[in-house]
Amino acid sequence: MRAAIRALRAAGVGVGAAGAPLELRTTFDDTAPRVEPVTPLEGDRLVVRPVPGAPEPGVRAFLDGIQRSQVVAHVGAVPLVHGVVAAAVRVREARRMRTWGAARRREALVVPVAALDHALVATLGAAVPLVDTTAGEPAPPSGHPQDLAARALTAVQRMREAEELALVAAWVADGDGPLLVDGGISGSPEGARAESVIGVVKSHRTLYAAPSELPLVLALREGERTSAVALHSPRRNPVASWYLRLRDPGDRSPLFGLVRVEVAPTGDLTARADAVSRWVLAERAPVALPDPRWDVMVYGIRECEEYLTAILPR
Amino acid sequence: MTAPVLGRVVATERRPNTPHEFHFWTALDAPVGVGTIVRVESTRPVNGVLPSVYGVVTEGFGYTDLQTPLHDVLGADGEPGASATAPTERTEIRLYTAAVLRQVPEEPLQPVPMGTVHLATEVDVQAALRMDTYVQGSDARGIPVGAYRSGGTDAAVHLDADFLLGPEAAHLAISGVSGLATKTSAVQWLLASIFTHLPVRKGKVAAGCFTVKGPDLCFIDRPATRLDPADRALYDALGVPAAPFDRVRYFAPWHARGTHLATLRTHDALAESVTPLTWGLRETLQYAEVLLSREDIDAKADALIDFIKERVVDQRFEDKLLEGTHDVRSFADLERWFRELLQAMEAGNQEQWRTHHIATIRKVRNRLGNISTRCKGLVTDDGTVSDLPFGAFEDRAVYVVDVAQLEEDAQDLVFARIISQLREHLEKRALGVEQVVVFVDELNKYAPSDGADTYVRQMLLDIAERGRYLGLVLFGAQQFRSQVHRRVVGNSGTQLFGRMDADELATPGYQTLAPATKARLATLEKGQLMVRHPHFGQPIFVRFPRPAVLTGREGVEQFPPAEVPTLEMAVAKTLRRLDPSITVGQVQDVLALAGDDEEAILRARNVTLLKRPDNVLAFFSKQLRKRVAPEVVGGRGPAPLRTPATDDEYG
Repeated sequence: MRAAIRALRAAGVGVGAAGAPLELRTTFDDTAPRVEPVTPLEGDRLVVRPVPGAPEPGVRAFLDGIQRSQVVAHVGAVPLVHGVVAAAVRVREARRMRTWGAARRREALVVPVAALDHALVATLGAAVPLVDTTAGEPAPPSGHPQDLAARALTAVQRMREAEELALVAAWVADGDGPLLVDGGISGSPEGARAESVIGVVKSHRTLYAAPSELPLVLALREGERTSAVALHSPRRNPVASWYLRLRDPGDRSPLFGLVRVEVAPTGDLTARADAVSRWVLAERAPVALPDPRWDVMVYGIRECEEYLTAILPR
Repeated sequence: MTAPVLGRVVATERRPNTPHEFHFWTALDAPVGVGTIVRVESTRPVNGVLPSVYGVVTEGFGYTDLQTPLHDVLGADGEPGASATAPTERTEIRLYTAAVLRQVPEEPLQPVPMGTVHLATEVDVQAALRMDTYVQGSDARGIPVGAYRSGGTDAAVHLDADFLLGPEAAHLAISGVSGLATKTSAVQWLLASIFTHLPVRKGKVAAGCFTVKGPDLCFIDRPATRLDPADRALYDALGVPAAPFDRVRYFAPWHARGTHLATLRTHDALAESVTPLTWGLRETLQYAEVLLSREDIDAKADALIDFIKERVVDQRFEDKLLEGTHDVRSFADLERWFRELLQAMEAGNQEQWRTHHIATIRKVRNRLGNISTRCKGLVTDDGTVSDLPFGAFEDRAVYVVDVAQLEEDAQDLVFARIISQLREHLEKRALGVEQVVVFVDELNKYAPSDGADTYVRQMLLDIAERGRYLGLVLFGAQQFRSQVHRRVVGNSGTQLFGRMDADELATPGYQTLAPATKARLATLEKGQLMVRHPHFGQPIFVRFPRPAVLTGREGVEQFPPAEVPTLEMAVAKTLRRLDPSITVGQVQDVLALAGDDEEAILRARNVTLLKRPDNVLAFFSKQLRKRVAPEVVGGRGPAPLRTPATDDEYG
């Protein structure tokens, strides 16, 4: 952040107090909630399966990433955003966590290059890494400051995902044992093919089930899973996925304690889904409180997030 | 070689580091705890110098990322055992607070910098406690008090002799609960250490100890029955021989009956080493106010006592009212003097004698006459004096005075007289040694923080405040430091603490200690002490070896006290000290001639013991029924008082 601010001042841009993180001001995922039918991989339709056997620890490591974006200056109506991201794999040894290799970290000034003076872009680019929010976008920015900020946020999000994906690839190449990734793994070509990588998705803006099967997903009881389905997307890698209820929702939201697990669609999928489900169920303890997402967050991911928060400068 | 990193300094706005305190975290299994000495290494130079900070851990904290214990309950579904089976242990921290012992360089005094924390090495311990200024070099004067042990570091901790025995500071106070604090053991160990390590150039030193309960200190010339290898290793490490004191002289008053000494060291094999402690009128009258309460002594009585001391005792006294000349040298003589004076006044119907009213004379007669009864065994009617060898104290010798079996009054008299005599002789530089350590157990009894202002308390206060210039050093032991007069405690340059009572630790005198330090004090093992010393910035925990002497309890088991002897046996036993060939039969023959006058027999025995004649039996026989004059101690020319080093610009 200091380097970015120095560069801005050197370029004659007035720098005020940094505002609140964009992650707090903008809805992180502003896509509309939807239901998407999928192809069953276990049997010919979606069914409920109690996870057989007792939960057992099987995960060796946890991967998570964090991001932070703040508007540090404006040029006219154009917000200049400082973005910093970090990602790390935390390996569990003798029930204690340590960092695998080194955490990955990247920061940049995130700007719509097309909306800025070329000389300013050149000056800034010589001093700090720049990320162009307009590069590769089909539509030019509207010029609305909030639209520009939202694009910057998306760019920072991509920066974070890139760091996470790099770590997934590194783990697949050099890691030892199952890696639990916070979020889906279909974005990673290596992760989506490796048996050692498990994705656990906590948010459910898209529910992968036919509308008629949705009540079945939402009525899962603690320790039950759905049968696995195949997830395809033009820009993503195919993965097998199923829903797993970690905690009894009681009278709470039907999404309480519900996660979606992603693995590579290989081998005996039923046996693998059961084994992975047992592993994930085992990670319910210790509870991830006080994180508000504690019902769906495994402790290893929370620990990883705390680690990243500690090493990322504010 | 650089010591491995133990921890890292941390500081937050809510818990900042200061010049006197800092915080650091360590791995969960780091060998560190309350009392551990650490060194902080900074990488940021100040005035071109990389600062080093030494500190001692005073508090420890451990916590996890839990916001509330309820979260753990929820996570374990209320089953305490469930947490233990969780695949991951919660993130946990060990955070320690350390008090700064020393910063190098000392100026500018800044908050402790961020840096790595290392366990202190032996050299670090010396630097941290500023021992480097007095343990090495030509002016070395360190007195080992124990070994600092933590995290694999073993380092001798030395006290500065100039601050333990004077003249810079002096005195030592040791506190702790009975039985667990090992106060007496600590003092015995420290005396052995002083005798071994006090440099010859610092002068001769002796110790005077009072046994006030049971057989404490009665066998310190005998080797310990058990001294385990760890103790021997400590003796080796601290450079003190694991041996009993080789020069010990025991003193005890006679039992009230007079046949045997009032001590538990009466076993036949040891009895000869105990010298009787008896005083006559002159010795006692000097300290009469110790035994006479304020109610006893009004101004009129005081005037009469002064008159007796100055005009009657130890001189020929004539008065027209009295028939003959009086030579008052004993309580018996004094009683005769009073009797004749009162009879004459009554005969002449006279109410006043030399401004003294007859009622005052009767009162003083009664009170003074009582003394020899109340202190029977110590104070003799006949004036026989057997005393400590004031003027001939030996270097590195211990003088044990057993007053355990005396009444409280008599104990006070012993303290008052012996300490006053030590002081007087030290002032004149005529004691035989330049420094005397006086060990007083149960100091809270003799110098209490509240209660009546007694002679003994005033005397102890005087020693505490002025003794260091004379070489008169007070080692006081007490269960509760808070119950000892604050001027006595406050003047103790060195303070030792054994296992402490929790209630005592809650008193204001311990407010400067961190809760964890207090908790450690409340659970100290035997053989462990917390030490405060002027050079140490903070209290330090040390371990000292078991004394290499026989404990009182073991001594009594190994040398059980002799049975109460018959008169003949008692006399024979005493005379055998001078002539081992004397038999009970011979004594019986002599006593047969003396009749039933038991007091005369004991008086003759006492005189014989004092005179040490060549023909013991003949001398004893001759002394029967003979009057004896008290011995007078000779004096020596005065020597200059001890003063602090002249090159001390702050002196």
